[in-house]
Amino acid sequence: MPGSAEPKVRFERVWKRFRRGDMHDSLRDLIPSLMRRALRRSAPPATANRSFWALQDVSFHVGTGEALGIIGANGAGKSTALKLLTRVLGPTHGFCSVEGRVGALIEVSAGFHPDLTGRENVFLHGAVMGMSRSEIARKFDRIVDFSGVEEFLDTPVKRYSSGMNARLGFAIAAHLDPDVLIIDEVLSVGDANFQRKALTRVSELVKSGVPAVLVTHQLDQVTSLCTKALVLERGKVVAEGTPSESIAQYLSSAMDADAIDDMSVLVVKTIRRQQRQGVRPGDTLNLSIEVIVQDLRLGAVQQLIARVSSAITGSVVFEGALHEAGLEAPTMSSWYWADVGLTLHAPPGPYHVEFIAADRRSGSELARAGGVYVSLDGDGKFHGAPRGDMTARLTHAAQFGVANDFAPVTTPDA
Amino acid sequence: MIVERWESLWHSRGLVREFALRDLRVRYHQAALGVLWALLMPVLVVLTGLVLRLVVAQSSGAGDGVASLGGIVVRAVPWSFFAGALGFATSSLTANGVLISKVYFPREALPVATVAAQGVDLAVGLVMASVVLAFVGVTLSVQMLWAIPLLITLVLLTTGVSLIAACANLFFRDVRYLVQVFLTFGVFFTPVFYDATRLGATGARIVMLNPLSPILEGLRLSVADGHSLLQPLVVDGIAAWSPWMLVYPAVFAAGSLLVASVLYSRLELSFAEYL
Repeated sequence: MPGSAEPKVRFERVWKRFRRGDMHDSLRDLIPSLMRRALRRSAPPATANRSFWALQDVSFHVGTGEALGIIGANGAGKSTALKLLTRVLGPTHGFCSVEGRVGALIEVSAGFHPDLTGRENVFLHGAVMGMSRSEIARKFDRIVDFSGVEEFLDTPVKRYSSGMNARLGFAIAAHLDPDVLIIDEVLSVGDANFQRKALTRVSELVKSGVPAVLVTHQLDQVTSLCTKALVLERGKVVAEGTPSESIAQYLSSAMDADAIDDMSVLVVKTIRRQQRQGVRPGDTLNLSIEVIVQDLRLGAVQQLIARVSSAITGSVVFEGALHEAGLEAPTMSSWYWADVGLTLHAPPGPYHVEFIAADRRSGSELARAGGVYVSLDGDGKFHGAPRGDMTARLTHAAQFGVANDFAPVTTPDA
Repeated sequence: MIVERWESLWHSRGLVREFALRDLRVRYHQAALGVLWALLMPVLVVLTGLVLRLVVAQSSGAGDGVASLGGIVVRAVPWSFFAGALGFATSSLTANGVLISKVYFPREALPVATVAAQGVDLAVGLVMASVVLAFVGVTLSVQMLWAIPLLITLVLLTTGVSLIAACANLFFRDVRYLVQVFLTFGVFFTPVFYDATRLGATGARIVMLNPLSPILEGLRLSVADGHSLLQPLVVDGIAAWSPWMLVYPAVFAAGSLLVASVLYSRLELSFAEYL
């Protein structure tokens, strides 16, 4: 059904359990254990504590014209999800299905036999991926041309470099004309030139409406290829939404582990966003920040600078000092709250808003004082140089009874 | 469910062919012996049979002479096919573990392709066997056409057993060794070197329970001796053949294929977890 809203990829409340530790993988082990069990009539050992859930209640749908990015740390369950989609594994609970021919760009040269030539492997691996001999023969020249290994076609692939191997494998998979595209980290094969070619090929397919599911650690690929994204953490979906929202969420949860450098005399302890959703270019992002001045004598020589940079490229789109934006920091206070309003005109994407303690006279950066990831949503049409405006206003100030005694910290206006 | 499995395997026949070609290419790529490699196993089985016959003839004084060569060749070639196919197919899933854990395709394609590759060796062996038969003076007869249904039954039975063994070896890695032992000694419990009737009435009945036995004895009787398999045959008062012996292995072949398709549809999704 071309053009229908029916999702091509369905993943509904999927749970996947893996057993870990020893399993009986030989009859020599199995038979004695069965006999022991029969003789003693003892209960089988509980396997519950030796298993773990790789995926827990994960659901998503991908329809025509959509591309889903799955992001998460190593071991979050991303590859398991893809293996369930490609039918290599089956779900423990739940249901998953993919309609039509699946083009799986996963370990693209897994089917190669080292003793066979490149030419022979094209036919072998093409068949493994589901192409008929005549289809491969028809596409053979294009595949070889794309891979750039034509000189070595009649050489056994065991003499290929790993890059050549991967290029040939990718070229075969990329010419499958799939109904659904499933991609796992393969856009990083070969040299920079080939990577660009591979990315172009995939984005052509995605743009033509082929539903796609992409797993990658390269977040820029998620923003450039995907229409939506979800974040997996230990097998659970912790965020889903636009690619930039998900990336912002992923990066902020990854950042929780980082200790904020508190060597500075100025520390931004908490940052609260007043809007839940992402903001669009031109909207004002409202943040409440809690600032702790660790040493009142030195506080005067430091300033807080707000810096907004792309979470993907790291390029700075806005930078401004809070005191210049209207924040009258009370010098006699060790603890204050402020409202910061940021209006950004920048391309859509995930951004990192951070506060930096800098030396007031030289302007040199002393320490990172805290940060937050936000996503700027939009239709992707943005031209011109990024710019921004900032307002900052003191909302509350307090003093500690004893200097350096920070805990417990509560925000009074919460 | 079972029909769907065979349908999907039929749709992947191109893949079966590519896997079989891969096996053949890898096996014959560098072998200077080339096609002779395909004949090595049946020739060795025939020679073993002749040596055994010689020993028996020396001790009992009763030999069948050169006429028995045809009978041995006609059974050695199919036995070599069965042993070779089952031996290689048993490890076909585990040997392609990387592929199975990365890409989906009907898993049956791997053992079936191994059997198909051995089928090429079987064809070469059959050509050699017909040359030997002509050489020892076996005359052409219409009964030789029985070889066609018998060989089809043999291929189906081999495929079914190979599929089951490959699946079992994936879950229990020592099945491979068990199969090797079974094949090494199985040749003595199958009428390859001798005629089943030589074992006496009870012995013949027992050895004919082996589903391979009626296939091999049927081939010998129809091809080497020109006997019609629709006619029962009694040798020295012992039942050597009855038409039911055509049905018996066919039932085993169908049963093993049925079991295999149930196994693969039930277990296929856990293959990758056990590799």
